[in-house]
Amino acid sequence: MSDEDDKLRETIRSLLAGGLEVEVFPRADTHDEVQAIVGRLQANGDLKDRLAIAGFTLTPIEHEGIEQACETCMYYQVHRCYCELPELDVPVEPQWSCRLWRI
Amino acid sequence: MANLLWLQGGACSGNTMSFLNAEEPSACDLVTDFGINVLWHPSLGLELGENLRRMLDAIVSGEIAMDIFVFEGTVVNAPNGTGEWNRFCGRPMKDWVADLAKVATFTVAVGDCATWGGIPATAPNPSESEGLQFLKREHGGFLGKDYTSKAGLPVINIPGCPAHPDWITQIVVAVATGRGGDLTLDEFQRPKTFFTSFTQTGCTRNMHFAYKVSATEFGQRKGCLFYDLGCRGPMTHSPCNRILWNRVSSKTRAGMPCLGCTEPEFPFFDLEPGTVFKTQTVMGAPKDMPTGVDKAGYIKLTAAAKAASPAWAEEDLFVV
Ligand code: SF4
Ligand code: SF4
Ligand code: SF4
Repeated sequence: MSDEDDKLRETIRSLLAGGLEVEVFPRADTHDEVQAIVGRLQANGDLKDRLAIAGFTLTPIEHEGIEQACETCMYYQVHRCYCELPELDVPVEPQWSCRLWRI
Repeated sequence: MANLLWLQGGACSGNTMSFLNAEEPSACDLVTDFGINVLWHPSLGLELGENLRRMLDAIVSGEIAMDIFVFEGTVVNAPNGTGEWNRFCGRPMKDWVADLAKVATFTVAVGDCATWGGIPATAPNPSESEGLQFLKREHGGFLGKDYTSKAGLPVINIPGCPAHPDWITQIVVAVATGRGGDLTLDEFQRPKTFFTSFTQTGCTRNMHFAYKVSATEFGQRKGCLFYDLGCRGPMTHSPCNRILWNRVSSKTRAGMPCLGCTEPEFPFFDLEPGTVFKTQTVMGAPKDMPTGVDKAGYIKLTAAAKAASPAWAEEDLFVV
């Protein structure tokens, strides 16, 4: 984990803890929903907006009986604690979550 | 000596290109070393016009024996079941196929179009195309499900878009050298020797599949293409990572997802926009699971594998 990652992770944490309004639901259940959210992310470079669009939370979201946490998401790099989804590309924590979660 | 006739229906010639690129044995070796007499082939045949017509008539009448009838491309039935959209030597190709299949000792369908209809038979299928003995997954096709050639075998299906040269030549050689009766076929009449294993068998990205490390771009060195880029390797029966292409590589080794081209449903999802090169998910889990795996098991296994993945699995790594 690099200092740069740590700094950005901290910024994200404080934004979310400070009450940043995010779109936790609806979760991206279908391919079209995923594409719509990814399209909005591609068109938006601002960190706060992207956290909001992706529906970031500091705790896992349970959806349809499945706990959606970064640590089980296929975009999560375990050792770097990082989200590799090209449209997000940010440091995260294992217990965070977003609505683009997929396994 | 075994007489071989190769005809093309609704086809792009991809399987012919593949066949002509064969090595060990090459198309020439088949003639010189394995006693195959190519009666006619669209790219190799010498006869034209009336001469070709006479030859085909002689085959249909039994005057010339045809040991191996190879068909490439779909049987085109349009318009309205007449087959007039694909005429050959003075009549609809489908009429030649019907007559020739009756006198063939072995009938071999090469490529997806001839086996199950392939891309031309994708909805809305304007050319009313079908494969020799299947239409997609449905048994029957143009020749009907009860068809057998004179040797007693149904159509031998060698799917692929295109089929690998070795899959074609090895089956042709087996038939020509009298070992055709030893061929065992799966439920889709594919030779088991090639189509029992999966594209994933031998893929250099298996470690990344196991540790759930995803490739997110084509050509990326590390990562498995299943999770994001729609690789169908775990559910596609093919030897693409056992019998390499050009003897050196495969799609997945080069960082390109397997499209499942040896399966009857290819091209999947009728090529709806957004379905190619993209893993389809339902509630965050892949819509199509690896063969034999259920969703609950998949989720448990992948979560555990992810947690156990070593650091090197996330680093750049040559997998080719
Ligand atoms: S895509 Fe996955 S790893 Fe990235 S933030 Fe969302 S849940 Fe976490
Ligand atoms: S790239 Fe495809 S074939 Fe290779 S391991 Fe991954 S899913 Fe399997
Ligand atoms: S890797 Fe897949 S798509 Fe490519 S040739 Fe093999 S079976 Fe077909």
